[in-house]
Amino acid sequence: MSTTEYEGVMELDIEGIEQSALHQVGPTEMETRDLSVWFGHRKVLEGVNISFPKQTVTALIGPSGCGKSTFIRTLNRLHELIPGAALAGAVLYEGQDIYDGDVDPVHIRLKIGMVFQKPNPFPSMTIRGNVLSGLKLSGMKRDNHDDIVEQTLTAAGLWNEVKDRLGNAAGDLSGGQQQRLVIARALAVQPHVLLMDEPCSALDPASTLKIEETIRELSKEVTIIIVTHNMQQAVRVSDYTAFFLAEEGSPGHVVEQGATTEIFGNPQEQRTLDYVNGRFG
Amino acid sequence: MSTVTFDPASLEQLQQQKSTRPWRKKPTKFTASVSLAVVIPALIVAALFVTSDIPVPILMVVIYLPLQLIASAVAALITRGTRGVADSMIIVNAIGASLFSVIVLASVIGSLIVRGLRALSPHFLFQNSVYISPSTPLDYGGIGHSLVGTLLIVFIASLISVPIGVATAVYITEVRGRAVPYVRFFVQAMSGVPSVVAGLFILTIVVATGAFNQSAFAGGLAYAILMLPTVARTAEEVLKLVPDDLRTGALALGSTRARTVLRVVLPAARTGIVTAIILGVARVIGETAPLLLAAGNNDQTVVNPFGSPISSVPTYIFNNVALPYPDAVARAWGSALVLIILVAILFTLARVLGRGRVSR
Repeated sequence: MSTTEYEGVMELDIEGIEQSALHQVGPTEMETRDLSVWFGHRKVLEGVNISFPKQTVTALIGPSGCGKSTFIRTLNRLHELIPGAALAGAVLYEGQDIYDGDVDPVHIRLKIGMVFQKPNPFPSMTIRGNVLSGLKLSGMKRDNHDDIVEQTLTAAGLWNEVKDRLGNAAGDLSGGQQQRLVIARALAVQPHVLLMDEPCSALDPASTLKIEETIRELSKEVTIIIVTHNMQQAVRVSDYTAFFLAEEGSPGHVVEQGATTEIFGNPQEQRTLDYVNGRFG
Repeated sequence: MSTVTFDPASLEQLQQQKSTRPWRKKPTKFTASVSLAVVIPALIVAALFVTSDIPVPILMVVIYLPLQLIASAVAALITRGTRGVADSMIIVNAIGASLFSVIVLASVIGSLIVRGLRALSPHFLFQNSVYISPSTPLDYGGIGHSLVGTLLIVFIASLISVPIGVATAVYITEVRGRAVPYVRFFVQAMSGVPSVVAGLFILTIVVATGAFNQSAFAGGLAYAILMLPTVARTAEEVLKLVPDDLRTGALALGSTRARTVLRVVLPAARTGIVTAIILGVARVIGETAPLLLAAGNNDQTVVNPFGSPISSVPTYIFNNVALPYPDAVARAWGSALVLIILVAILFTLARVLGRGRVSR
């Protein structure tokens, strides 16, 4: 049901601004089909159908506890690491179900990178070591490590601040710098999709702005899915928005999704309107 | 309505300001009663000590402690009212208890120094006991052979128990397999194995079967049994301190479980693992019974870990302390002093290395 709704909204949108490059809908990179998620016997998500077009930014919004973070963790198979985790439905990446029996989760996580709420640089490594850690950890071979370090740190908006102290411990950086460092780290393995779980929630406004610029810049090359509690941020960075909600006693589900301008400017659901205007949640 | 007039100090005056600690100022009544509460019981006990034959420990516990409690309570009542009484009781008891443990430790070390310092000299640390009989004066001979033995045995024990202990901790915290509760139970139970049992075990299955002589290797095996639970449990605790964010972070980069452990988790817990090793060494280094059984004794310096019986500091102490020769007894006390200094060095090392937090 929500798939059709979503496509409807998107088509409308395309007709509206056909000439604008902003909402040019490319081929689908990832999508979920009737995805439901459990922790033990508790169903936390029900029937989520979202597709993520290539090289766009999709914001997932909704009140705390509605299953956004759980959802994003099913997209790169981190969900299954939690004891008692279960799911139904499918998560398609380039048309392939990533939960197929013969799919290696390590391979999936290499293609679908992730940035977490709390910056988590590896404390035992230097700044440079952190950027290159993905290559070492995944056994990926890439030449020109110096170029990779410079490119990814530049892409993450951190190069100028750290270029003279790449050998320092990563723990010496500020929180905002650490977060940009782990973004660079995620980029070094050249993911096609980047999942971001509230990447700015622990950061000050200046760092937040820098990371948002980074996100906009990155979306030219990678597909980004970002969970955020910050409405303005969703408006600023995303092309599409999906609004999650878990009503009293029932699992979380997608109430409304579509182009960000529609969700914030002309929502079809009263609950969406209330949420994006800060009336609950 | 009146306006408040307040002239802020000039910049010059501000620069002249002196830092003070107003909360340290105490009323004279307070100072007076506290000093009386400290001095009066001490004077009474000193007088009793001089005039009577009551043994010091009884004097301290039966007379001084209650006296001090009463005096402090009275002082507290005067200065702070009834509320202060319970407070002062707790403070006096806490100070008393901590003083007690310090005194016990200090008297152990003190008696070692008093009896052992006489034997200490450079040659005591480096010479062995060949041609040395219990009646030989302290000018000759030493425990060099025992020190070498102890270090060799502890090294062998570490080589065996550290990899196994760390691997056990990794199984419990990282692999999280089904057997974790049982493994943890056995490790805990193992830490209760009496050291003499570990020695007997090795004696029976390694020495008595003819597989190896009494040797540094056999002694190291016995020590390894005792070290293993300490290393495993301490390593488990420090691995638990590594934030889960780092594990998921590594996995999200396409890392395998093994690489996550080897390249992220263990390096992040490096200082803690070092602490685990040192605590394990400190746990066994003074154990005597296992070495009496598994390593034997020798007057010569032995460096081959497999060939022959070998001396160690604890067995040297055991063999010398009960002999009817004052110099042999002094050597035993000197060795005990060396041993405790060795342990102190290890613990200091553990504290210094452990000071770097697991993650910054």
